[in-house]
Amino acid sequence: MSKRADGEPAGRGLSGFGRYAGPATLILSSLADGPKHGYALTKDVEEFAGVRLAPGTLYEALARLESQGLIQAIETDDRRRPYQLTAAGATALKAHLDAQRRVTDVGLRRLSINWTTGWGTA
Amino acid sequence: MSRADTGAAGSAARLLRWYPAAWRDRYGDEFAELLIADIEERPRSMARTLDVARGGIIARLADLGLGGFPLPAAGAGAGAVDPHRQVRVSLGTIGAALAVCLAFGAAMQSQLTIAWEWSTAVAPSAADPDPPFIPAVAGFATLVTSAAMLAILVLATAATIPVIVTVAARLVAGAGRRLVLPVAVFAVAVAVLFTGGRQFENGWVGTGGHDGLIPGGVAAFEWATSLWVSAYWAHPGALAAFPLAERAWMLVTPFALAAVALAAATLVRRAGLSARVLAFEARLATAACAVTGVFLVGVACWVATGSEGAPLFHPGLIDVAATGALALALAAAVKAAGTASRSLRLARKPA
Repeated sequence: MSKRADGEPAGRGLSGFGRYAGPATLILSSLADGPKHGYALTKDVEEFAGVRLAPGTLYEALARLESQGLIQAIETDDRRRPYQLTAAGATALKAHLDAQRRVTDVGLRRLSINWTTGWGTA
Repeated sequence: MSRADTGAAGSAARLLRWYPAAWRDRYGDEFAELLIADIEERPRSMARTLDVARGGIIARLADLGLGGFPLPAAGAGAGAVDPHRQVRVSLGTIGAALAVCLAFGAAMQSQLTIAWEWSTAVAPSAADPDPPFIPAVAGFATLVTSAAMLAILVLATAATIPVIVTVAARLVAGAGRRLVLPVAVFAVAVAVLFTGGRQFENGWVGTGGHDGLIPGGVAAFEWATSLWVSAYWAHPGALAAFPLAERAWMLVTPFALAAVALAAATLVRRAGLSARVLAFEARLATAACAVTGVFLVGVACWVATGSEGAPLFHPGLIDVAATGALALALAAAVKAAGTASRSLRLARKPA
């Protein structure tokens, strides 16, 4: 299992992020497509998730992700510094999305069984 | 007003002030660019202001080691985090938080000590067949807090020595210009506490310590320096009956204690302690948190149980408030100790 920068295993996904897992997932998903700076991240997340990450929330999550080695800044002369996903970040994102997919699959399957055959229609 | 102070750039600059200097060094430029773009799209947004304020407060807490994660630092390289800087900052926070614990803890512990002394000093007699007694839980609390206080003082002494040696070495080498002010503040505040404590310990309401758990002089000094933790603040009429010097002392003490704690935290941050000393201090800090936790359990048992029929051991509302303050300060110290430990693990990782 790969390790994050702070020595914690990365395979647990974003479980250590608690209530910050939402913005972190959106940011990591956006960076999975390639490096982006703050404004481009905001626009991309708004486009694919319909959520506008406020500046304070975005940078709070970026600082957490960067301190844990899940993303890293790319050195540039531009004032708008781009960030990219690290290998640990990709592993953590995959683990988190796999866990979410399991929940989604179970929820959809139960809905399809119980909410189209009678008892839940009231 | 300069051009930079007007429009979107000016608003962004004002919003940036919510964040600590270390965070601004690392993220300031790029965050300002994002804010300017956001302000140009939405010129007025209370939600944005509140979001930035919240983010700034969280960043300030993280800068103190209270965010649960090390704050990335400018110039830290690919690793993003300067672990030794974060350990220094976290140790300063732990020191300040434990000083708060010690201040409130001393107030409660000296109260228990006084009750213990009087309960053992008066023997049953024909004139007083029902003398004061030591109830089970309060007695347990007195023993636990006394042992914990002794352990805290030993740990504090062990933690102070390497800092004093490092600070002295830097001052002698002429490399400690930024240490002069905190050293001076620390020395003056300690002198105020020592002189005042010695002066006002003459009013000690214990028995002199002959039958106490801790030496009478120490108990009296502890009592004198914690006089300010008092319910009399809520009763100005009764407080006014105190001698002027005593009221002045009660007012000065918390400021002197705060000065000692803040100066000590500043020295730990600025002294340039070696990685080995930082690791040693972090271990002591974790041990001090554990001992303070034991102390908290002792006073919490006493406050929760009450006097158990022994009026001398009656806990008042001020003790409930002091226990709450102690618990909050301990929670902050534990959080900072966690950040220090994580940062030390980062520092030990090969580059």
